Parts: sequence; C-alpha cells; structure tokens
Amino acid sequence: MEFEQILFYVFSFWLIASSLAMVFSRNTAFSALFLILSFFSAASLWLLLEAEFLAITLILVYVGAVMVLFLFVIKMLDIESSTLRAKFTGYLPVGIGVAIVVIAEMSLVLGSSQFGLGKVANPIRHSSDYSNITELAMELYTTYVYQFELAAVLLLIAIIAAITLIHRIDPRTKKQSIAEQVNTKASDRVRLVSISSPNKEDKK
Amino acid sequence: MLNKFKKIIKDFTLNELLFGMSVTAKELVNTKITVQFPEERTPISPRFRGIHALRRYPNGEERCIACKLCEAVCPANAITIESEMREDGSRRTSQYDIDLFKCIFCGFCEEACPVDAIVETQIFDYAFESRDGSVLTKKRLLEIGEQNKKAIDQTKLEDSKYR
Amino acid sequence: MMALWQSFVELVYELIPWLDGGVATVLIILIKGVALILPLIIMMAYMTYAERKVIGYMQLRIGPNRVGPIGLLQPFADVFKMLFKEIIFPSKANIYLFLLAPILAFVPAVAIWAVIPLGEGFYITNLDISLLYVLAIGSVGVYGIIIAGWASNSKYPLLGALRSTALLVSYEIVIGFVAVTVVMVASSVNLNEIVAGQKGGAWNWYFIPLFPMMIVFWISALTETNRAPFDVVEGESEIVGGTHVEYSGMCFALFFMAEYINMIMMAALAVLMFFGGWHSPFEGIPYLDDLFAFVPDIMWLLAKMSFFLFLYLWIRATFPRFRYDQIMRLCWKVFLPLTILWIFVVAILTQLGVGPWF
Repeated sequence: MEFEQILFYVFSFWLIASSLAMVFSRNTAFSALFLILSFFSAASLWLLLEAEFLAITLILVYVGAVMVLFLFVIKMLDIESSTLRAKFTGYLPVGIGVAIVVIAEMSLVLGSSQFGLGKVANPIRHSSDYSNITELAMELYTTYVYQFELAAVLLLIAIIAAITLIHRIDPRTKKQSIAEQVNTKASDRVRLVSISSPNKEDKK
Repeated sequence: MLNKFKKIIKDFTLNELLFGMSVTAKELVNTKITVQFPEERTPISPRFRGIHALRRYPNGEERCIACKLCEAVCPANAITIESEMREDGSRRTSQYDIDLFKCIFCGFCEEACPVDAIVETQIFDYAFESRDGSVLTKKRLLEIGEQNKKAIDQTKLEDSKYR
Repeated sequence: MMALWQSFVELVYELIPWLDGGVATVLIILIKGVALILPLIIMMAYMTYAERKVIGYMQLRIGPNRVGPIGLLQPFADVFKMLFKEIIFPSKANIYLFLLAPILAFVPAVAIWAVIPLGEGFYITNLDISLLYVLAIGSVGVYGIIIAGWASNSKYPLLGALRSTALLVSYEIVIGFVAVTVVMVASSVNLNEIVAGQKGGAWNWYFIPLFPMMIVFWISALTETNRAPFDVVEGESEIVGGTHVEYSGMCFALFFMAEYINMIMMAALAVLMFFGGWHSPFEGIPYLDDLFAFVPDIMWLLAKMSFFLFLYLWIRATFPRFRYDQIMRLCWKVFLPLTILWIFVVAILTQLGVGPWF
C-alpha cells in the first residue's frame, strides 16, 4: 500500500467517524466540533486530489467563519435536551422518509453505474509546479464568468436583505453618534466668559 | 468647512496616534527612576514608624518600668504587659508582647512612654516564617533594640530638637 | 545554508536506506519541524522578555533584571514556573474541551509557519497558495478561544470568548481584503512570488502603492493577535483575564505561546507582503549594495520583523484599550470601505502600469 493510500484511508475514516459522531452526539457543542473535524478531513481528502484551493477555501469559509458563528449561537442558546427528546418520536416518520429519499438519491448518483472508475477517468497527476489556482481562475473568469458574477450578485442581495431585516431604526432606542463625539471640541461644550466683579474695586 | 477638512486630514494621517507614540519613544531613552530596593534605599524620615524595639540605659539596665501606659494608649490593643517585682525590689515586666497583626504602627506607645523605653525603629523590611512569629516578645524586642542601638540613638537625636 | 541542508538531507537518506526512503521522508519532515519550532519558541520566550523590558523602559522603569545578567534568563525562570504549576480544573468544566482548547490555540499558530519563507528558497514547503493557507489556518486559531470560553463554565471566559469571536471573524474579512490588494499587485498567492515581485531596493516594496493597506493590515493584525489596544478578549480591567481566567500552569502557557507565535507570524507576514521580505533595502544602489552584500538574506527579514515586533510593544505601551463597539465600528465602517476602495485604486493603477510595482 502506498503512503498516499494510507493517508486516504486515514482521512476517510476520520471523515465518516466524525460525521457519525456529529449526528449521534448528545451535546450540541460537541456536534459542532465534530462537524469541524469532518470539514478538516474532507479538506485533507481534497488536498490528496490536488484540489488545494477548494480545500483551503473550505477551511477558510466553513471552519473559519461559518462554524465560529454556529458555536457562537450554541453558546448563547439554552438547549434543554428533554424537550428535544420528547419531540423526537413526533418527527421520526418525517425523518425516516427524508433519510430514505436522500439514500436513494445518493445511491443513484454515486452508484457504480454512474460514478465508478469506468465512468469517470482517474484524475491526472500534475507536476509540482502546476498551478491549480491559476487554472481555476482562468475557468471562472472566462468560461463561467456569467454564472460567477450572478452568484456574487445573489450573495450581495442576501447580505443587503439581511442587513435591512436587522437594521430597523426604532425611535425609542437611544444611540450615540461616535463620529459626533469624537469631533467635539472643548469650545462646543464649554463657553468661557469673563465676568467683571463689581466688588473688586471697592476692596482696593 | 476648512476646519472639517483639516480634521479629516488629521484623522487619516493618524496625527494624534503618532504624537502619542513619540511621547513613549522619548521616554524609552529617558533616565530611569527605579530604585533597586535591597541595594539602593530611599532616605527615611527619623520619625518613620517601623518595627518596635525596647531600649536599655547605657549601663545595661532595661528602661521599661512596666507602667503600662503604652498598653493603655494602644488603639489596637496590640500590647500585652505583665509585671512583677524583681529581686532588687524594682518593678519590671515579666511579659511584654506586641502582636504585629494587630499593631497599626501609630506610634502612640512611643509617645506615651515616660522613660523612652519602647521605640519604633526605621526597619520596615522584616518578615516572619511562622504564625507565632507575628508576636514580638520581650526578648525579641530587647534584641532588636540591642542590634539597632546606634541607629535608634541617631534618629532620636535627630528628632529631639523638634520635640 | 541551503547547500549544508541539502547535504544533511542526503546523509539522512543514506543512513536510512529501507522502504524506498519513505521513512527518511517522514524523518526529514520531522527534523524540519523541530528545526523550525525550537528557534520559534526561543524567539517567543525572548519576545516576552523584550516586552517586559521595553514597556518597562517606556514607563521609566527598568524591567526584569534579577535572573541572570540584565535579566536575560528571565524567560527560562518563567518557563520553569509554568511547568511546575498545578493545572486546576474548574469543578463543572467540560474536561475534554477544557484540555483541547489550549492545543487548538497552539497548533494552528505553529502550523502557519510551514509555509512562511524565511529566505531565498528557505522554507518548509513551497505551497502554491501559501497566503490563503496562512489566512485559513489563522482563522482556525479562534477555536482555542471559543472552546476555552465555553468549556471553562465560568462567566468571564464566556464573555471574553463572545467578544473575541465576533471581533476575529470581522477582522479576518479586513485582512482578507488587504491580502487581495497585495495579490493583485503581485499577481500571485504564493508568498515566495510576492516577495520576488519586490526585488530590487526599497522603492520596489509594496508598502508604497499600498500604504493605507499596510496600516489597515497592521491594525487588523493587532486585533487578530489580541494585542493592546484591542485586547478585549483578556481585558484585565473589565473581565479580569477573559478566556484565560480558569487556566493555570502549562495550559495557560500554551495560550500565551500561541499569542506570541502569532505575533511573530503577523510581523513576518507584514514584512513579506509589504516590506520586501528578505530583500535588502539597498539593492540596486551602486555603493551601498556592495557594502551590505555580506549580510545573509534571512538577517534582513529578521531585522525588519524585529521592527514590527517592537512596534507591537510600542503601541501597547502607548494606547489605552479600545471600547468593544468602537473596534467593531472601526472594522465595518472605516477599514472595510477603505480596503474595498483601495482594491479599485489598485485595479486602476494596474491598468495604467504605474511605477516599478505593477
């Protein structure tokens, strides 16, 4: 067995193990952390496929940002497992139905009739000076530039929508304008006046 | 308008931050004022109230006559005195304890003493390793007086003209 | 230096002839790792010493001077103190995550150094996307803080972790945009090639066309490494030490080391991206170039890094801590628009082909 194959099996094992642990873990925080581990394993598998840009992006976006916010939310929530368990049987039929559909779809797509070595050729190994990211950029900005820009605009719309949902100006809230505070000079707040005291002359 | 423009320029060139950093940079090369304690000491006033000591007369006779004025005046009740008659018929202390955990170093005992027996020295860097070390017994107090006789006499002399 | 290394590698291959050199490859990777981590840890140890000394001097004190001549052995005294201290577990803490947190903080901090080049052809790996790798692994470091805050089961660590989470995620975006401008100028994501683009004298360095980005990057770097004046994660005066409250002994030391190794990494990154990496500032000047020809390239890198490390301490000694909401405002309302604006400026400058940079 080659070194790369050993690595493949190690990472695959961790991917499956951590995914299962994520599903079966009772502690939500543990679930999130197992999901992070499975992301890492998937990224390592992609690295073995020479898809280093995708692997790094997976870590940067999902591990570095999305899962951080997940954990952020989990920390704030007060999850009571007893209520979740009470609802479990109610959701069970729907859950089983969805699971069967997913398994059927996956087996159709990833079955040996569709996804075997016979159908998809073994990826070509490139030399170490082959720049994956340049090839990807060339494809994205020439062949698929239209779709790429559309996706970007879609994300932008999502961002603006999220901000407008949150950003309501409530007249009851009191806010401080930091720019105004910082720009204040002493002369804006304090007025120095010279007062002539009438008794001064008498005392002399 | 012009002022606002000036303000923007000032903000974006980080003017005030750089000024602040120039101050610390100047202090970096300035003369340091640290006193390296065990080797160097700052001057101490002759009226400094440090750890206590019992004094003796030049002929070796202990000064304390067990009048218990210090015990009475002590605001923290730190002093405990027992007295008895010595063989020669004079009244002397058999026990003279100062609890340093109680003592607030006010110096009233020193002021009250009619024979200048109990004094407070300039020693402030003392330490003890056991709990009962916090109680200064008569023996220990006399020892401190013996060991620092010169310094005590010197400071009392210096201070005497203002009393 | 590289020739010496090459002969050493061949020696290792000859000593271990079995398994087609497979074991030797692993062994060489291990040796490389140790050769990187040991100087890094010593550098980190002396960074703490320098910090205490420099901040002391700026406050008219003299800093540590008891252990060894002028206190030079102080870091070792600190290490031994940390090693022999008891690790205390809070009674209701989640023990696995509690122990995992310092490891998760420390490992990414060291792992980043795998791709940081220290000289011409002097690196552990020459990854094609090394700048992205640095950003990605750097963003993993935040988990140490989050998990520490959550697993301690204590209020101050949780507050510190909550503060840091939002902060680090926000500033990663800014650092990402700054990196984009650098990548646009250098037209490569490889740190080696970014440095190669700055060859030939100080006027070729990228800090000239990207000057505002350099300042934005440095301020963001202060935030990313939780340094004063942005150290709201620790915030000694408000939340007594943030995520570190419940940690003691070696567990705390790991957090501490991670912070300092990240500081050194950020300084190295600033030099590589904006200040010509290991290139001498006098390259191309007739007389000075020859005069400084004897200086090895890694020395230039270390000299430039030292300035930035000093800047960390200088800034810490000068400024009071930012209020949390003002840091967020600075990120989203000042830095982010500025970086996006500068991306357009760089795009225009690239099209015009201005100066020696584009």
